[in-house]
Amino acid sequence: MISQKKEKTIAPEVDFSAAREMARYLKEPEAMYVGAPGKHGYLRLGFELDKEGKSILRDLDRRHPLIVQQELYFDEEMPEMPCVYILSSGGPNVDGDRYRQDITVKKDAYAWVSTGAATKLAEMRYNYSGLVQNIVLEDNAYLEFMPEPVIPCKHTRFISDTRLTVAENATVFYSEIFMGGRKYYNEGELFQYDILSVCSHGERPDGKQLFREKFVIDPAMEHPRNLGVMGRFDVFANVLVMTPKEKADEIYDRTEAFLDRSNMIAAGITRLPNDAGLLYKVLGMEPGPVKKMVRSFCSTVRQVVKGHPVPEEFPWR
Amino acid sequence: MSREKDMVALMRLLQFTDSTFPVGTFSFSNSLETASFENIVTDAASLEAFTRAQSHQAAYSDGVAAIHTHRAFLKKDYDTCREMDRYLIMFKMNSEARLMIQRMGKKLAELAVRLFDNGMIEQWLGDIKSGETPGTYPVAQGMTFAAAGIGERELFCSHQYGIINMVLSAALRCVKVSHYDTQLILEKLAGEIPALYEEASKMQPGDMNAFYPELDILASLHEKGNMRMFMN
Repeated sequence: MISQKKEKTIAPEVDFSAAREMARYLKEPEAMYVGAPGKHGYLRLGFELDKEGKSILRDLDRRHPLIVQQELYFDEEMPEMPCVYILSSGGPNVDGDRYRQDITVKKDAYAWVSTGAATKLAEMRYNYSGLVQNIVLEDNAYLEFMPEPVIPCKHTRFISDTRLTVAENATVFYSEIFMGGRKYYNEGELFQYDILSVCSHGERPDGKQLFREKFVIDPAMEHPRNLGVMGRFDVFANVLVMTPKEKADEIYDRTEAFLDRSNMIAAGITRLPNDAGLLYKVLGMEPGPVKKMVRSFCSTVRQVVKGHPVPEEFPWR
Repeated sequence: MSREKDMVALMRLLQFTDSTFPVGTFSFSNSLETASFENIVTDAASLEAFTRAQSHQAAYSDGVAAIHTHRAFLKKDYDTCREMDRYLIMFKMNSEARLMIQRMGKKLAELAVRLFDNGMIEQWLGDIKSGETPGTYPVAQGMTFAAAGIGERELFCSHQYGIINMVLSAALRCVKVSHYDTQLILEKLAGEIPALYEEASKMQPGDMNAFYPELDILASLHEKGNMRMFMN
């Protein structure tokens, strides 16, 4: 058993040893060890234009439990757009899971990436679940990354680090939706997780750093119910849009900031540092209306950048 | 001699922390104006919660930058001071908040070069004017306090007092609360500062974090709206 633990997996290292907030959660799980085969997912997606100028998924590499089969072209407003669902064969992220996802969109190519279902983060007792993402957009590339919500459970510990390396004339729409927990499970499990640590940072291909957003939600330290944090809201969406300044200005002008207390939904938009683009946030009570707001915002981005709206969501999603 | 130095440092601490210290704190409400308009802050209890959120948000971002700048300044490490400035502006997601800390930072730098004969502060003001560095207020505080012989803990307290007092002063103009209410809140939050310092003083720049989406949305409503009693 000991020699098995020393075996290296082929997937790149996912290292969060510098994360101070996770130092309390470093115990080796008694079940499968950290980074064991099946608990160290890897995904590499590379989109590019083929000889005919069609955007395709040229490069695909994966390690279980992450699965991507092939690109599909189901977007009715942009039928030329390759669409990919990331699936996980392992069910929820469990204690000691490590994931890495690298997505590259080459010059002039475009793509849409989502997940097949919500990402469930299981109860954890020893360690944590970690995710590293590297998203690279070359000149004039375009990516919509719009996964289903993340649902933490009681005692979930989760950390992610997402690097967005985006050329000045490229556009990335990167969204995340976080549920407060399993709201209707037993007596309700809202904000009973141990910690969510989420860091997203943007830079140019030459390495110039533009912004760094990090939030650490530790209900024992600062309860999300507090005024100014989540207040009375249960669901939170965070959307980063890196796009050229003139496009960001147009999207900003077209996007409303509002607080609708009768329907308990609110949205806000601001400009990222160093003219990197925009930051859009939504608060709501249920995932449906929040997803709708994120999708509607994506439609504004797509119309400004690509001249097409985002189609209506499938009724089963 | 040491006691004399302590007394001078204390006087300087009071000077830099006073709400009349001319860096423009009175112009900002940290979104309280919008929170009041939206009926989120309506009384002393909700004002206390709102002010606490602002205090915590500042502690683990601006507070960390101020502490690291103070430490670097004492080591005459100008590059790290500049790095803190760059790092903090990169972390400030809200554009009005960036505007606020840059305006106040430049004002403090302009004052500090007159108050202290210090080459590093002069260099920093020059770099702000030439656009080489953003010139944020917490970094200006870290440098100024170090130059004035004021310690790191006192710097943190002064920075926290500035945030809390900025909100509470604005509250007297846009929330139905009395001076008694605001002073009670200030007194209560003061008791929580040592725990915030304990945490912030151990954090590295990469540990800076903030999760206050409700505050972010209020700031956005202010940014896109027409209310302009305060700049922020």
